[in-house]
Amino acid sequence: MENLLEKIITEPLKDFLYKLAHFFPNLLSALIVFTIGILLAWVVKVIILKLFRILKLDALCARMGAAETLQKLAVKDPPEKLIGRFFYWLTVMIFFIVALYLLELPAIERLLENLLLYLPNVLIAAVILVFGVIFGNFLGRATLIASVNAGIVFAGFLCRAIKTIIILFAFVMAMEQLGIARSTVLAAFTILFGGLVFALSLAFGLGGKDLARKYLEQRFKTDKGDKDNEIRHI
Amino acid sequence: MIETDNRNIADKISALGKIDILVGIPSYNSAKTIVHVVKAVEAGLAKYFPQCRSLLVNSDGGSSDGTMDAVRNTNLDLSSILINRKPDQFRKFVTPYHGIPGKGSAFRTIFEIARDLNARACAVVDSDLRSITPEWIELLIKPVLEENYDYVSPYYMRHKYDGTITNSIVYPLTRALYGKRIRQPIGGDFGFSGKLASFYLTKDVWETDVARFGIDIWMTTTAVANGFKICQAFLGAKIHDAKDPGSDLSAMLHQVVSSVFSLMEEYAGVWQGVSQSEPVQTFGFVYSVGLEPIHVNLDNMIDKFRLGVKDLAALYESFLPQGICDDLHVLAEKPKENFSFPDRDWVWVVFYFALACHRRLMNTEHIIKSLTPLYLGKVASFVIETWDSTAEEVEERLEEICLSFEREKPAFVEVWKKEP
Repeated sequence: MENLLEKIITEPLKDFLYKLAHFFPNLLSALIVFTIGILLAWVVKVIILKLFRILKLDALCARMGAAETLQKLAVKDPPEKLIGRFFYWLTVMIFFIVALYLLELPAIERLLENLLLYLPNVLIAAVILVFGVIFGNFLGRATLIASVNAGIVFAGFLCRAIKTIIILFAFVMAMEQLGIARSTVLAAFTILFGGLVFALSLAFGLGGKDLARKYLEQRFKTDKGDKDNEIRHI
Repeated sequence: MIETDNRNIADKISALGKIDILVGIPSYNSAKTIVHVVKAVEAGLAKYFPQCRSLLVNSDGGSSDGTMDAVRNTNLDLSSILINRKPDQFRKFVTPYHGIPGKGSAFRTIFEIARDLNARACAVVDSDLRSITPEWIELLIKPVLEENYDYVSPYYMRHKYDGTITNSIVYPLTRALYGKRIRQPIGGDFGFSGKLASFYLTKDVWETDVARFGIDIWMTTTAVANGFKICQAFLGAKIHDAKDPGSDLSAMLHQVVSSVFSLMEEYAGVWQGVSQSEPVQTFGFVYSVGLEPIHVNLDNMIDKFRLGVKDLAALYESFLPQGICDDLHVLAEKPKENFSFPDRDWVWVVFYFALACHRRLMNTEHIIKSLTPLYLGKVASFVIETWDSTAEEVEERLEEICLSFEREKPAFVEVWKKEP
């Protein structure tokens, strides 16, 4: 009986207490590392914000249209605050991962390994999206100005279309990078884009031929208007 | 020494010794028109400066139509222009230029030759001029040679609606900024001293847009801002093969205005200290040309203005004050009969566009090209106001615009100095 009690209760309890005693120092180390990480993250955030101000990167963001895009997405915080916050949480996450490693739990170690292998894809996808938005804004604005100067009455629509197409491209590329519903996203994009082009071709070629003729007449008339102007600007 | 890989060219230039007068003609595929220009230059030098050692330099951009040969083979019959004494001190020198393709690079070569040969007085004329006469050479060179001026700006007689970019932006702005009333600062044909040519060469601009398209306004502004003695010479009508990109007004506007704005950056210390403008000495016999009617499509210009105000509203609001944006919207609603772009609003539009470029609020090309609809609105307004006016009355109206720029300048200086 005593042997049975020892086997069922005492030994597992001793085993548990031994593992707990072995785990506690790891837990303590992890907590200390995580706390240092939070403090360091706060320092990093302050440095990034100061660097932003010194290098006048807020003006650069305004030039690239980042502030305008964020406003449209109902994000009230300015770009420098968002970037500061990003680096804060990045630092916290790095130290969190290091802290988890210190716990020496095999299941967590395997999970973290998979996460670390996936992280570069997330970063690349984020970069693709950011560049897509910046490029979309730039090209959209260039298209708007050129269309207005050419007297095209639907200049605004053209600008929005160009912006949307470029950002959509970037979104699909980001999704492909992340491997999220890869074939679905690609198929949906191909069908949407191909269908749009086909529909526009049909509209101008068949269904909208009167509108197309009117547009071309107006376009040529506008050009003729320019040629009728005998003012020499320079 | 002139930078050239061709030792032969450098030797030929050295062999010329010192010269008194250098006339430069930049060219590119100008075989059809350059012969007349060369003859006019030679006639002018023979008639007005027969005792001076003169050199005509053709600085060519790699023409494929035989321009350089046309220059070499041009011979003027001096007896046809009633010159008996044959001057023996006239030389021609034809050379390709080096550097970025553009008029500025061609001028650089001319400046280098002028410096190396210690030329006292120089002039540059366009290779496509059809209205150039020998008198142009006298008017561009004599003020330098005999009156000790350093820079002679051209003054052409033009139709009241010609040169609207100059009339509505460049002239009033540069006059208000630098204090000199140079009527046509981007004329294209200039006179200057050898001293000024050497000064131009000390500036490191030959790999920039100055070399491509900004050389004219750069020459004028650099001379004014650095305290050189300036005058202007009335040359009569300028008729030439207009190569201006008239089919793309926004590109033309960008070229001219971006040059003016970038010079504002360089000479901010100079123009901020200038409080008022003064006239410059004008040489030559001033006369008016007949006012033949020209066709102006006002509806087209006003429509583009309205389209710009509507579709570019968000862009304008990012760097124009709300008051001006509101005024633009009100103006866009007005019918053609009441379409009048107030001078003060126009002045501040130009000032705020300059400020937007200075603060780099967005891509500079986007900023300046978005000025096009507003510029067309101002031109349309100006045409409506002055349709029945004489040339003199139009000049008076332009004077009002210039005075508006000068009146608002102190406030602009304060805004420029303020950190955003």
